[in-house]
Amino acid sequence: MTRLLSLAALACAALALAAPPPRTVGAPGKPAQDQCTLCHRELEEARLRQPALLAAEDVHHRQGITCAGCHGGDPAATEPEVAMDPSKGFVGKIPPQKVPEVCAACHSDTSFMLRYDPNIPTDQLAQYRTSKHGLGLAKGDQRVATCASCHGAHGILPASDARSPVYPSRIVETCARCHADRSLMAQYGIPGNEIEDYQQSVHYQALTVKNDLSAPTCNDCHGAHGATPPGVSSVSNVCGTCHLTQREAFDLSPHKDAFATMEQPACEACHSNHKVVPPQDQWIGVEEGQVCGTCHSAGDPGAEAAEKIRHALLETVQRSEAVRQRVERAEQRGMLMDEALVKLEEAHQALVLARNDVHTVDPARVQARTEEAQMVLAKAEADAAAAEEELAFRHRGLKVSLLVILLAVVALGLKIRELEKQS
Amino acid sequence: MRLGERIWHALDSRLNLQPLVQFAKEKSVPRHRHDWMYYFGGLTLFFFGVQVITGILLLLYYRPTAEAAFESVQFIMSRVPFGWLIRSIHSWSANLMIAAAFVHMFTVFFSGAYVKPRELTWWTGAALLLLALGFGFSGYLLPWNELAFFATRVGTDMVSKVPLVGDWLLKVLRGGEDVTGATLTRFFGIHVAILPMLTSLLILLHLALIQRQGMHEPQEKPPLPPRPFFPNFVLRELMVWLVGLAALAALAAFFPWELGKKADPFAPAPAGIKPEWYFLFMFETLKLLPAKIFGLDGEVVGLAAFTAGGLFWFLAPLWDRKRARGEKSLFALLVGWGVLLYILSFTALSYLGVFQ
Amino acid sequence: MSSHQRISRKSFLNWFLGTSLGATILATLYPIFRYVLPPEVAEAPTNRVLAGKLSELPPNTGKVFRFGAKPGILVRTPSGEVRAFSGICTHLNCTVQYRPDFQHIWCACHNGHYDLQGKNIQGPPPRPLEAYRVDIVGDEIYVTRGA
Repeated sequence: MTRLLSLAALACAALALAAPPPRTVGAPGKPAQDQCTLCHRELEEARLRQPALLAAEDVHHRQGITCAGCHGGDPAATEPEVAMDPSKGFVGKIPPQKVPEVCAACHSDTSFMLRYDPNIPTDQLAQYRTSKHGLGLAKGDQRVATCASCHGAHGILPASDARSPVYPSRIVETCARCHADRSLMAQYGIPGNEIEDYQQSVHYQALTVKNDLSAPTCNDCHGAHGATPPGVSSVSNVCGTCHLTQREAFDLSPHKDAFATMEQPACEACHSNHKVVPPQDQWIGVEEGQVCGTCHSAGDPGAEAAEKIRHALLETVQRSEAVRQRVERAEQRGMLMDEALVKLEEAHQALVLARNDVHTVDPARVQARTEEAQMVLAKAEADAAAAEEELAFRHRGLKVSLLVILLAVVALGLKIRELEKQS
Repeated sequence: MRLGERIWHALDSRLNLQPLVQFAKEKSVPRHRHDWMYYFGGLTLFFFGVQVITGILLLLYYRPTAEAAFESVQFIMSRVPFGWLIRSIHSWSANLMIAAAFVHMFTVFFSGAYVKPRELTWWTGAALLLLALGFGFSGYLLPWNELAFFATRVGTDMVSKVPLVGDWLLKVLRGGEDVTGATLTRFFGIHVAILPMLTSLLILLHLALIQRQGMHEPQEKPPLPPRPFFPNFVLRELMVWLVGLAALAALAAFFPWELGKKADPFAPAPAGIKPEWYFLFMFETLKLLPAKIFGLDGEVVGLAAFTAGGLFWFLAPLWDRKRARGEKSLFALLVGWGVLLYILSFTALSYLGVFQ
Repeated sequence: MSSHQRISRKSFLNWFLGTSLGATILATLYPIFRYVLPPEVAEAPTNRVLAGKLSELPPNTGKVFRFGAKPGILVRTPSGEVRAFSGICTHLNCTVQYRPDFQHIWCACHNGHYDLQGKNIQGPPPRPLEAYRVDIVGDEIYVTRGA
């Protein structure tokens, strides 16, 4: 082992002689060659050995950036005293409040970053300084998240790597490391139930069950490096980046100004913020368990509008279900129901659009859509009725044939009787 | 001379048909109190004929693959004129054929017609019944709907209980480890090629034996004068066939055969999976058996018992010495009634839902 | 009964028998005859349909066609290529359409956008539209799915 080490040291020395003075950064695309990992790999103490083992996977190390890129010192030196000489800039463990600057030394340098990835953003530090985390750090709070809290310190993987703690489907558990800790969050006046709530939402379902990586996780609404709760006025903007049609409908409604005046977050009032569960038609109304009742009460125009909207939707859903059953029954009996199935799909589509228009809170608009759905449903129902009539017609036709056959049986019986009477 | 006569003469002078006509004129069928039972063999043959015709018609449009089978049956039922009728008749005629065959078998058993010299007729008949059951089992899967799929899965699984070669047999039958499109193709081949060929040959043999030996007559005094085969018996048989046709029309009208849902091999089995009615008595019996009998798998014991019972029934001409001597046999009578009552009661109770 | 009556009774019986047997045979043969003639749509729905005509589909247009009850969408790109996809939006199963003004596929229900390769590029759709194979024979556009 010792021989091997000294061989490696000789090789490094030869390189150091051939190359310009010790450098911390190698050529992009080539794994870094340094003495640090060679020695640290062999150390007894896990705290000192682990970083060296992680280096092989680390995106920086793989791109030629040695340990000295962050920790300073001489990565080519074989003697510990020379390698970790403070006079050569060695810093050892980097304190949390220094982390953003250390990372930003390269990550905010556009021309430097361009060597590795022409599209990588370089505004992370600027964003971080505006975030709750960055503001806390500036005030000297050492418990707030810094770069390393989310990305890791050693063995950092690109965000597109599924093993990275900042990969879309893993962000929740990464944020949860602090944000699910109620006692810690209490010190910041945060309830700490946000993660649990989010995990019951349609968004989390889409992300984890459907594996839809575009479904929003924490950073999609709060921002990543500039993590901050969206302000009251921007909630509908944030939701509207994906839910555009609903937002357009909402902008047409009298609610838009009303919510703005009351300084209430718009979407959140009915759909909640983290616990966004699939909306139900039954939510519309002022009764117990319905959402309009927060502001409206029975008898006021809003309550009446809600009643009309809910009625229009529920009636259409019911009718659609009844017609679907009738059509499927006819199909199972062997009738071709493609036309009716297409109409049912059209009705479903009209119903989806009606639910968009719920956000206008205008009963007339919703009813226009549900009436459209009812019209198509009537056609589908007519198809089902025609199929049933065809089945009944076959039934009658067979009865006539049955009668004919029975007559033939009788005639044959009479003939036989006559034949045998003769003989 | 009329055209018909000229054709007849032309054929007769070449093929010497006159003796055949003479034979038909002289042929007669015995007449007695129970001569109604002579019609059931013919009725079974009629339903088989209907199966052949409607089966060939269905072949015009049917496609035997997992992807297209259900759709092609749906196509036959919804787009082809009268396709629904052909398919309904084929399904009902299959059931009526097996019912008629069962009646035929029991009448033969109770009248003791299987004794010497008609042992071979009994055995070919029994083989034909097994083939008919094979037709039913293989044909049931072909529309590739949910019920058929799961019933076939349960049904083929029985084969795996056969000692030693069970797993191998199961694989051969299914064309793989599980019921898949490969099973469908295999069952299709069995249903439209192998079984029809065997059945046709056996039917010819069965009829030749009957023709050679004549109808069995019970020993009854005094015998009535025999009935001429033509036209009296033929017309009566025709009437029975017409009644069979009427029954088909009535069933197709009042209980049209449905298409069901397309089979989804990955869906959980729907509740209340049942085989066709003619397998119900076995199905329910196997369900009633305890999991272990004398340390053996209950189902294996049950299947072994059915095999032994079937063999005993099949070998009736060998053990029924009394009837062979022309005496009455109380034992055979008891066996017959026992089997009949067992099958009837278990089938009826299953339909009444007693076993659930 | 006189012999005259007997004869008329006999001939009536023969007529009755002949007619009813004839009707039975007709009732049996007619369905078979009709069954054997090819139906309007000659084939069970397969994985291939005639989706449209090239002449009816100028560049930068689209057309919804059907596989049985399921919609598909045929797109002629501005550069003249013909492509086909499943017409069912991957978000909530609405039927998508071609928007000449966007020059790509769009779903009206929740403003979902798909590019000309069927890839979801904006809005809520979680997955791309399934692409189908297109074969052009003369003026006819055939679409095959699951190929």
